[in-house]
Amino acid sequence: MMRKVTKRLTLVLVMSLLISLLAACGGGNNNSAAPEKEKNNGNTAPVQGEAGPDTSKKVKLTWYLVGDAHKDQDKIVAEWNKMLEKDLNTTVDLKFTTWNDWLTKYNLLLTSGEKIDMIFASNWADFYKLAKQGAFKNLKDLLPTYAPVTWANVPKQDWDAVTVSDGIFAVPNTNPEYTPLGYVYREDWRKELNLPEFTDLNSIEAYMDAVKTQKKVTPINGAAYENVNDLFKFWTDTQMITGEIVGATSYATPRDIQIIPFTDQYEAWVKKMKEWEQKGFWNKNSLSSKQEAGDFIKTGQGAIYWRNPSSAGGFINEVQAKGLKMEIGFFPFTRFHNYVIPTLPIANGMAIPKSSDNAERSLMVLDKLRNDPAYYNLMTYGIEGTHWAKGDDDKTIVIPAPGVDLNVTPRYDIASWGWRVEENIKKEKGGWEGLDKLKEEFKPISKPDILGQIYLDYDPVKTELAAVNQVFEQYGKPLMLGLTADVDASLKVYRDKLKAAGVEKLLAYVQGEANKYFDEKGIQ
Amino acid sequence: MSGKGGLIRELNRNKVLFLMVAPTLLFFIVFSYIPMVGVYYAFTKFDFDGGLFGSEFIGLKNFEFLFKSGILWDLTKNTVLYNLAFIILGNIMQIICAIFLAQLTSKWFKKTAQSLMFLPYFLSWVLVGAFVFNLFSDLGVVNSVLTQLGLQTYDFYLQTAPWKYIIVFFNIWKGIGYGTVIYLAAIMSISEDYYEAAKIDGANIFQQIRRITLPLLMPTFILLIMFSLGGILKGQFDLFYQIIGNNGMLYEATDIIDTYVFRSLTINFDIGMGTAAGLYQSFFGFVLIMTVNYIIKKTHEEYALF
Repeated sequence: MMRKVTKRLTLVLVMSLLISLLAACGGGNNNSAAPEKEKNNGNTAPVQGEAGPDTSKKVKLTWYLVGDAHKDQDKIVAEWNKMLEKDLNTTVDLKFTTWNDWLTKYNLLLTSGEKIDMIFASNWADFYKLAKQGAFKNLKDLLPTYAPVTWANVPKQDWDAVTVSDGIFAVPNTNPEYTPLGYVYREDWRKELNLPEFTDLNSIEAYMDAVKTQKKVTPINGAAYENVNDLFKFWTDTQMITGEIVGATSYATPRDIQIIPFTDQYEAWVKKMKEWEQKGFWNKNSLSSKQEAGDFIKTGQGAIYWRNPSSAGGFINEVQAKGLKMEIGFFPFTRFHNYVIPTLPIANGMAIPKSSDNAERSLMVLDKLRNDPAYYNLMTYGIEGTHWAKGDDDKTIVIPAPGVDLNVTPRYDIASWGWRVEENIKKEKGGWEGLDKLKEEFKPISKPDILGQIYLDYDPVKTELAAVNQVFEQYGKPLMLGLTADVDASLKVYRDKLKAAGVEKLLAYVQGEANKYFDEKGIQ
Repeated sequence: MSGKGGLIRELNRNKVLFLMVAPTLLFFIVFSYIPMVGVYYAFTKFDFDGGLFGSEFIGLKNFEFLFKSGILWDLTKNTVLYNLAFIILGNIMQIICAIFLAQLTSKWFKKTAQSLMFLPYFLSWVLVGAFVFNLFSDLGVVNSVLTQLGLQTYDFYLQTAPWKYIIVFFNIWKGIGYGTVIYLAAIMSISEDYYEAAKIDGANIFQQIRRITLPLLMPTFILLIMFSLGGILKGQFDLFYQIIGNNGMLYEATDIIDTYVFRSLTINFDIGMGTAAGLYQSFFGFVLIMTVNYIIKKTHEEYALF
């Protein structure tokens, strides 16, 4: 008896060992099988297309979004799955990365080969690099069959924008936007202290100075770096290409690509920032602070915070909804140079990772989601009557729905950007009116994005890039905030360290790629 | 020849023993040895089509970024010195606390003190980071006290000097309860006979500690040191990241390999370079532990790990 049991146990152990070995090897096999499968799909697709794709097999998909889920997410997804099951014989398991370290998690999801059938994609989530490395499925042959409506209603230039070496690797959203940065600030204080409206650096400096000396409030409280760095880029019209290091000196001179910290403009700027730091416009610990400057405005301990127009709208709506006694203004930095660049089509989109087994079905779900208002409203705005209610017409909605307390059921605002379609987007009643005014302001001064689509994967210079980024973190950031004791000395150290890290090789690479791109597109 | 036959015979003879050790072996094979294959990533240019063995082999190119900035020496030095301070000071403090606790007679006080010391161990570094920030920031506790006393405030976040001590202090503070329990257990297992004999011979309490407790704690001490040494090149990432964060002003004194690698790779996610850095750490950890073990074996053979 005893012997039999031991024998069996040994067998079980040996088996489990073998299985785990096989599983480990399996990873490699999957990948090599993928291209073959894709080819098959390409061949069979048109035949199936005649009678509409076959959905007789029940499929369970996994979708990933960036950011956080809503409190009622399970309810909403359950509702969605009811519809999906009826229409497409499919259910979707919707997962979120949460905002905490989201980019690292996002990258790991793709590299670990976890089975995912749809994931958020964007140029600010390394779309071009990942597409070049082969992280996403090529959708070119699948789209006409499995997402015919989307295939037809996304403009051709948007498809071109997500085409990387002849394949289409994402479905961009269809919602052209302007998202230039700017400051939200305490407008009531500006009026009270009798200061001019923001137009240039001097008026901003005068405002911060008055806030500091008369209101005794640190204007940029909490984390200050982005607030100052973005002001620098917009004020000097610097067009960054590689992090905060290599960029074009102005929009008008895209071919004049330089190492920005080596320019005189930069030197003058960091000297000015030293003055600002000494005047106490931000705290000495602002590099270590993990609190957003905006949170301090809400408690009356701050005055300035960087936002783009739509997030400024969110901020102002929140201040109003909470009944805080303050007036918030918004100043877009585009007013410095009077032009604005629209976002790239792939600023937000959805892509299918290589690991997916059900790309066809996943595309069908996306097609429904984008183009069927019932699907779109549910997943973008939540459940009608709970998270929103119909407004005066089809295009407006009321948030919160009547009788719903926002403190109990918070606003439904998951990262639904990837599937947004302009004609389905609804306006919120009573929202910040400045947003529409800004749209009007931006339309006539819009200029095309000439630098955003230079595809750089940094492969030949990745060693230099990693080293340069490091130097920037250590020396560039403190310098930008004027935190070092001796600006001249620390600027020299910064430049020397950048050189040692190989920034010149990086520059040569970026210049080479950029010029190739400009020649191709005929940009001078 | 005889080796092979011997192994099978050995397996056969100690079947039950091998069966008992099998789950542990399995655990290590599955979670330590099989993933070790992934070390190969350090020598490849990763792409999604190729996977692990299909990606292009590029030799030592991934290691270049560690050497490129010339910072590797500083990083290694910081990492090793911090860890040495953690290990040595930490263990000494733990031994002292354990001896104090063992001498206490009030059971109630002993239990309370022990629990209070253990408490920080369960705190997350995120919280500790928030404590530290609120202690040392411009308007933090320390600077408020200084202002109240009419003294000049001190810009902690612009000076590298105090951070060495702050970091070492918080690490020891957090780990002290855990280590104390281990040493306390070791003290409790020392037979009372020794102490009674010492008392009869007229030894006072300090002599008892010096001549009985400390020598008998030696094996535990060395064992714990040996265990920690293997990880000496692995910095406490949470500790440094939560307390220092992205403050470049302080990197000179506080940057360790882990935080450096984290920063390089979160900006430019690259599996090959990440694995390369991990391999560097593991390799030197391995060399270090082999050397120390060799030295101990030569001098105090009974204490050696293997």
